[in-house]
Amino acid sequence: MIDAKKLENELNNIPDGWIVLLETSVENVLEVSLVVMKFMSNNNYTGIVLSASRPYQNLIKLYKQNGIDTEKIFIIDCVSESYGGNLEESNNVQYIESVSALTSISISIDKVIGLIRGGKFLFIDSITTMLIHNEPGVFVRFIHSVMTRLRTREITGIIVSLSETDREIRAEIMQLCDRIINYKP
Amino acid sequence: MVNVKKLLRDIVEKYPSSAVVMMELPTESYFDVNIATVKFLIDREFEGIYISFHRPFKNILSLFEQHRIDTNKLFFIDTATALSKGTGEENPRCIYISKSVDIDELIGAIYITLPKLKGRGRFIFIDSITTIAIYKPLSESMRFSEFLIRIVRKNEVENVIFNVARDLVQKKFIRDIALRVDKVISVAE
Repeated sequence: MIDAKKLENELNNIPDGWIVLLETSVENVLEVSLVVMKFMSNNNYTGIVLSASRPYQNLIKLYKQNGIDTEKIFIIDCVSESYGGNLEESNNVQYIESVSALTSISISIDKVIGLIRGGKFLFIDSITTMLIHNEPGVFVRFIHSVMTRLRTREITGIIVSLSETDREIRAEIMQLCDRIINYKP
Repeated sequence: MVNVKKLLRDIVEKYPSSAVVMMELPTESYFDVNIATVKFLIDREFEGIYISFHRPFKNILSLFEQHRIDTNKLFFIDTATALSKGTGEENPRCIYISKSVDIDELIGAIYITLPKLKGRGRFIFIDSITTIAIYKPLSESMRFSEFLIRIVRKNEVENVIFNVARDLVQKKFIRDIALRVDKVISVAE
């Protein structure tokens, strides 16, 4: 069981446009993600979730179970299509062919950012999973590019990473972030 | 950030005319140390060129202003915007590198900017030498670092500061650069 209050306190004073790397363990990653999504949507942000781990339908179910307003969520689902899952049509989802389709993901992020009015944030879940499917150098370029575009538009980014992510890749990404939250319950 | 100030003060005292410095920074506080370093130099009446691979000019400018750094003493070469395939707003204090991120263009931008520096000491600050190596062949990253070291030796600028995250200092090309600088300083957590 994670300490939601402790995590919320960490998230509470993050200025708009900051990029936060949220490190946690594999045991806590789901709960941590749900706390972040709930906290941000309660604070009137619309979340753009880049999901490399769970399909759209599963995420929506989890969000509803946890009292998260799914009207304030847009999911870029990189999982369902490659695993032959059910591609349910909805106005808050875009399906990407695979986690390694970084150009499609990048285009989709830009498109969704343009669709959402008001405060928004990008939530990447998780770089550790994305790294399994992508060559590290290419992936770091992708993350650098996404982060820079978020900064130019003053959109907050929250990037989840498991503690065991490769040290060099972690360092490349960490030095681009404004804050590191190492969440341990 | 007392540690950074003390380390930099020692460098300025030990190398009063010129120095090439590599700073190994804790990954977790990378940008905080960048800010502290630039603030230290500007507060000592240096003027400099900030070459950014990490962040777009607009973002750096706003963060420096929040930290009360006199940005009138700085010129920026923004490579980050090009690396993300974006475009930046025009500003007389910033040169945006084009999307091909050519090393010769970067060198040209430095030569255009150097005559504009009027402080009692001039510096070039590179926010991350490892980031360029993600985009360009190692030979090009090396050529760029060699150019920077050479212009200090030829007294075209007094100080060059390369920043490297501590977890990346073992990369071979970083070790090569480390052999050629005047001082490698390690900033504690």
